[in-house]
Order: sequence, then C-alpha cells, then structure tokens
Amino acid sequence: MAAENISVIRLRDLLLVTVPPDPDDQTISALQEQVLQAMAEHECRGLVLDISTVQTLDSFFARTIAETVQMVAVMGGRTVLSGMRASVAVTATELGLTMGNALTALNMDRAFDLLGAELRKDRLV
Amino acid sequence: MKEIDRGEIRIASEGDIVMARRVVRNAATGLGFGITDVTRIVTAASELTRNIYHYAGSGVMRWRALAAGDRVGLELIMEDKGPGIPDVVKAMESGFTTRKGLGLGLPGARRLMDEMTIHSQVGSGTTVQVRKWLRRKNDATVANGEGSP
Repeated sequence: MAAENISVIRLRDLLLVTVPPDPDDQTISALQEQVLQAMAEHECRGLVLDISTVQTLDSFFARTIAETVQMVAVMGGRTVLSGMRASVAVTATELGLTMGNALTALNMDRAFDLLGAELRKDRLV
Repeated sequence: MKEIDRGEIRIASEGDIVMARRVVRNAATGLGFGITDVTRIVTAASELTRNIYHYAGSGVMRWRALAAGDRVGLELIMEDKGPGIPDVVKAMESGFTTRKGLGLGLPGARRLMDEMTIHSQVGSGTTVQVRKWLRRKNDATVANGEGSP
C-alpha cells in the first residue's frame, strides 16, 4: 500500500508539515523520518505540524507525533501542533493520550505567532 | 434487539486498519451518530484492529447496526486466533502493554464505547465486543410533541 503524500514546506527557518487525514501506520512513520530529515537539511529552528484535517488520532499516531516532537526538541527545534479538531481533542483526551511537551495552537496563524514568540524567547536566553 | 445491517472485514495488514476505520466511519455516520461519537467509535476501532494485527497477525472485524427500542447502536466484534490474553484484568489497566505501545488500546476503547466484553483463551484467541448506543432524537421529539399542548 502506497504511503499517502505528506506535504513538507520550508518557510525561512521554519518547517510546515501537513499531516494527511487518514494515514496508515507506514505513512505516519514516514512522516516522522521526513520531518527530521528536513529539519536537519534546511537547518530549521521550528516546526508547525498541521493536523487540522486529521479525523482519527489513535494511540499509535499520537505516540509517533509525541516522539517526533521530542526528537525535534533534542535537535534544537520547537514544535507547535496546529488545528486539532474538537472531536479529535475530546476523543484523544478520553482515550488518555497526551502529546508530550508539544505546544498547541487552534489554527495556523496562532501556531506561527506562538512559534515566533518561543524562538524569540530562546534567542534572549 | 433488531439487526439493521452488518458487514465484516479481514484484518491482516496495516492497510486493513485504515479500511476498517473507513467502514466503521460510514456505518456510524449512516446510523446518525454525531461527529464526536463517530470519532470515538472510529478511534476505538483503530485501537482494536491494531491489536489484532500486532498481537495475532490476522483476524476479523465484524460490525452490526442494531435497533433496540428508541435506540440505535453500532456493535464491533474483533475476533482473532492469536496467542490470547493471559490476564484480561491486567490488560485492562491503563499503561499495561506487552509491546512497544502506550497500553491504551483496551482500556481506551472501553472508555470511548458504552459496552465492552472480552473473551480470551491463551493459545486459542481473543474476541472483543464493543457497542455504542444512540438515542433516536427525532422519534423522541415527535412523541413528546404529540403529548404536549
């Protein structure tokens, strides 16, 4: 089964990755790999993971995302999860999922604001 | 309790987990479940079919659309002939896993659904049955409307 397309866009030193709506496990694992490669290749400092089209967030998917956030963090980058649907937020919380240390934002605008603020904070320290 | 519709799908690959999610999403949406309940049911189906694939290698997911009184429901039955669960009580504890997982599969699915029954025998397999119910609001409104002035 072919992995669904994953969109990875670089904006200055930020990476914008759009997660497909209903990915299989292989696609989710491929996403992690692509994100880490792109972070290193483009020397990015921040990552926005757009999950606004994701319909189902189960424990495997959530674990891989939390892991990715952690891996990006040890590479010196910050991640913001953007656009989780209300139905997914309810279900994920009831299921007992936590997204690790990920910052979250309601939409893409706020995600970039938050990431910008975080990166400025890092620069001042 | 009346059966309205039914179907089944064989689970033997990661792609089948995706297919099971789609089948369950269609069935739940068709029964009139709202978006949050649909997401709960689909997520539970994803956890349970992944359990089949990872622990048993293969198995079957059967689904049934049910009607009982003023309620409709969706039932999912996951059947495998895998190694079985030695301690079902322990497997139901959050965080317990024998694999590289979060250990949320069974307890998580139970929280997302209204009913759950597990039958498991070591060496011969596991059957997990879950159900989610929906009160038929339209019928209730009509009945109340007739009774009130």
